[in-house]
Amino acid sequence: MAQQTTASINEVKDWVLAKHTERQDIGADEDLIETRLVDSLSFVEFIFVIEQASGTEIDMDTLDLDDLRTLAAIEKRFFAG
Amino acid sequence: MKPAMIEPDERFREILDRLSSMSIEDYYNPYRMFEWPDELPEDMWWMSPTLTTTYGTDVAEELTQEQLRALSRYESINFYSLNVHGIRELLIEVTKRIHTAEFTAPSQFFHHFIGEENEHMWFFAEFCLRYGSKIYKQPRGGAETIPPHNAESLLVFARILIFEELVDHFNSKMALDKSLHDTIRQINRIHHQDESRHIAFGRELVRTLFENFRAQATSEELAQIRDYLKRYMRFSFESLFNPQVYQDAGVDKPLEVRRRLLEGSRRPEFEQQVFRKTLSFLTKNGLLDDKDLATVTTKRVAS
Repeated sequence: MAQQTTASINEVKDWVLAKHTERQDIGADEDLIETRLVDSLSFVEFIFVIEQASGTEIDMDTLDLDDLRTLAAIEKRFFAG
Repeated sequence: MKPAMIEPDERFREILDRLSSMSIEDYYNPYRMFEWPDELPEDMWWMSPTLTTTYGTDVAEELTQEQLRALSRYESINFYSLNVHGIRELLIEVTKRIHTAEFTAPSQFFHHFIGEENEHMWFFAEFCLRYGSKIYKQPRGGAETIPPHNAESLLVFARILIFEELVDHFNSKMALDKSLHDTIRQINRIHHQDESRHIAFGRELVRTLFENFRAQATSEELAQIRDYLKRYMRFSFESLFNPQVYQDAGVDKPLEVRRRLLEGSRRPEFEQQVFRKTLSFLTKNGLLDDKDLATVTTKRVAS
């Protein structure tokens, strides 16, 4: 189960890395917004990737944007359990 | 410092009076206006083929006619969903400003504007829920450019105008497309008629707000405005390419399809068609200094 979770969050990480070929890796606690790894133009895809990888539908009306700031936060909110 | 009251010139005053009179003359009851068949035929296009995101691309060549028609159904639901979300933002922003000191002059027209937009939102949502069983969400977030703090109202009304002009490009074409179902043509025709007033109003208001802003702005602030507007136009255009739509239509690899379409050779041409009038207005009035939407800087960061 733990391995499945790692594989899933890696799909999100792979998507970010594919958009930023200048990067080799992304730290789990790196702020994706402040570093502009995710900007307003790529946000639609970002949400779609998390939904697809986690199998969870994200409710934009109740979403706390802090849950999307780092890979660690995304994993905790959408992939844990 | 409080924003100064908007002082419309004679031209703007005449337009406000004329548009208010037209809103009264053309008033209709939207709840009785439309024919809502129980269902719309699936063997028809729901959106004009030339307005779909795959038109003229190699992606379209890989899909069957049936898949392309299915895609037109989901793309149309996405298009009307974008209208619902855009109108929500617009209603919030205009309602915040009606009968405040700064917006005394256009407040009379704001009443018509708010009333009509509420009705548009109703029939767009009705279409989505009746024929698509859902309203697509429009995720908003991610890093954004920081606009100058004293440009808030200017950018609110510039965003509203850009959104309305984008929508009108589609409405005006689908209203005339005889291959579409009558209900689809009617929704687009009615919206186009009302929006022609709103766009005329929006252009005058944005022109006035920008003249006031420019009189005190630094060259850096003007560059920030240009950057912000171009990014907003790109964002609005790219919202038409919803990965969930490709997935719902049964198209394989929706993210890859989206990337191919956004990076493909048709994108700049399609984008320029959609924003032809908008770009002319924005450059003519000095809000932009060129029509090239591919040149957007990404220096400033906000959360």
